[in-house]
Amino acid sequence: MGLLTILKKMKQKEREMRLLMLGLDNAGKTTILKKFNGEDVSTISPTLGFNIKTLEHKGFKLNIWDVGGQKSLRSYWRNYFESTDGLVWVVDSADRLRLEDCRQELSALLLEERLAGATLLVFANKQDLPGALSKEAIREALALDNIKSHHWCIIGCSAVTGENLLAGVDWLLDDIAARIFTAD
Amino acid sequence: MASVIEGNEENGFSGESGAVRIQERLQKRHQARIEDAERRKEAKESHSVAEEKSEYFSSTFNRERACIEELLSSCSGAERAVVTEKLEEATTKTLQLQKFLNDSMQFLTQYELRQAQAALQKLQTSLSETKEEALPRKKFAFRTRTKAADKASAQDAHPPPRDEGTPLETSRTQVDGAAPAEQCGFSNMTSEFITKTAEEIQKRDVLLTHLTNCKVRLFGSPSTLHLKHIDGCEILCGPVSSSVFVDNCRNSVLAFPCQQLRTHNTTDTQVYLHVTSRAIIEDCRAVSFAPFTWSYPTLEEDFTVSGLDRARNNWTEVDDFNWLAAGIPSPNWTVIPEADRKANWDS
Ligand SMILES: Nc1nc2c(ncn2[C@@H]2O[C@H](COP(=O)(O)OP(=O)(O)OP(=O)(O)O)[C@@H](O)[C@H]2O)c(=O)[nH]1
Ligand SMILES: [Mg+2]
Repeated sequence: MGLLTILKKMKQKEREMRLLMLGLDNAGKTTILKKFNGEDVSTISPTLGFNIKTLEHKGFKLNIWDVGGQKSLRSYWRNYFESTDGLVWVVDSADRLRLEDCRQELSALLLEERLAGATLLVFANKQDLPGALSKEAIREALALDNIKSHHWCIIGCSAVTGENLLAGVDWLLDDIAARIFTAD
Repeated sequence: MASVIEGNEENGFSGESGAVRIQERLQKRHQARIEDAERRKEAKESHSVAEEKSEYFSSTFNRERACIEELLSSCSGAERAVVTEKLEEATTKTLQLQKFLNDSMQFLTQYELRQAQAALQKLQTSLSETKEEALPRKKFAFRTRTKAADKASAQDAHPPPRDEGTPLETSRTQVDGAAPAEQCGFSNMTSEFITKTAEEIQKRDVLLTHLTNCKVRLFGSPSTLHLKHIDGCEILCGPVSSSVFVDNCRNSVLAFPCQQLRTHNTTDTQVYLHVTSRAIIEDCRAVSFAPFTWSYPTLEEDFTVSGLDRARNNWTEVDDFNWLAAGIPSPNWTVIPEADRKANWDS
């Protein structure tokens, strides 16, 4: 292998990002992932383990990990923290009764040492539902303004219509890229 | 001095009681040694059990992986129909492998886990590459959306932490503007008969909480349905286009078609179900299932509105998240025997 090829390989490797998608069960994580990839979202089951999707976007290779959010699976989340560049926290904006649960789980994650360097994108999902809270209300309920440890951003979206999914991911990539590929 | 004498006795240097103590102590030492050896043996055994398990894991995992890889490589040059079939099989097998890995997590070391995850990821990648190559499809759906989404791009992007407290409120996204917070449903009722019409619930998120001994009929197709703190109720609902979320329900009868059913903390409840993907239970006991049989005049139209596949009902495939043992069925749910199923919903 020539030196150029090796350099190119390294470069490719450099342009890889690892995104970890978490949130309570039923938030819409898997639906977001599949919608994003242009797949059918009507056959999605509650996630028993995790899904991994690799896709190219804006010249980056994204490895997206979507881990099940059921109570019984949350203790496994930590198995996926390592070398995460971006954390995508997905919220069911219409599920008011579990917003406090949602806040607690997120704030616990933000204390994790292995996620310390990660950028946080909060998707206030299911905005298509008439009873959905606005992203401002979610931002308040999750006390996002208290976060000093991570770069963060909240975006209202709908995995069913696809609205704003791209906007969210673009922001996330820009933020991560500015942080880790500075020499580019 | 009392303390000195005591000290001597402790060391076993004086008198008869001293000799007895020495014997006792020797006995104790001996006992301890035996126990220690036992413990070591046990530890060794359990270690070898763990080793055996992880050996079983890696041999099974590698065998399955090789099988999928072979499927994928045999796709090149094959006919389209054959490729489709092979890819389907490879997809199913990959999913199963994922589940297997998840089930095995408890006894794998971090290293093994990461190795397996990396291998799975590679499989997924080559699976989608093979798919793309053999059966190229249209551009990704989200690419076509690029323009519209770019306009809305990152308008609420939050600056680095030092700029905290001065949030950007430049423009609200469309979805936010269009979402006055209104909820549909009812709560805190006892012994009532409640109905809702299609106009009231169509495409909406419906929430029912704290109902006791109520009969509920929801005619129409809601977007989603949440049931919480339900006791002794009969709740029937038209086709729900996404998920039904049930929490803290007991002694009740439920019936609805939906895409997903997520049942939590529920006991002694019957579910007459049409589910197009999966039903799951978590922290549940004595939940029983039968196919959805309730009917009302506009059911067919509501099915159409919901977009649910009438022909696909996976009501017998229930995943118990507290019961991941492969091969042994969960004791927390059952199928309602045909003879015991409710046939008449008007009573
Ligand atoms: N109306 C509406 N429904 C949505 C949206 N996103 C997801 N859903 C529905 O919400 C349900 C749950 O979605 P999933 O993607 O399975 O949720 P998840 O976060 O992956 O859940 P777990 O795998 O259990 O952690 C499904 O029935 C989806 O169709 C959305 O934006 N709007
Ligand atoms: Mg999921």
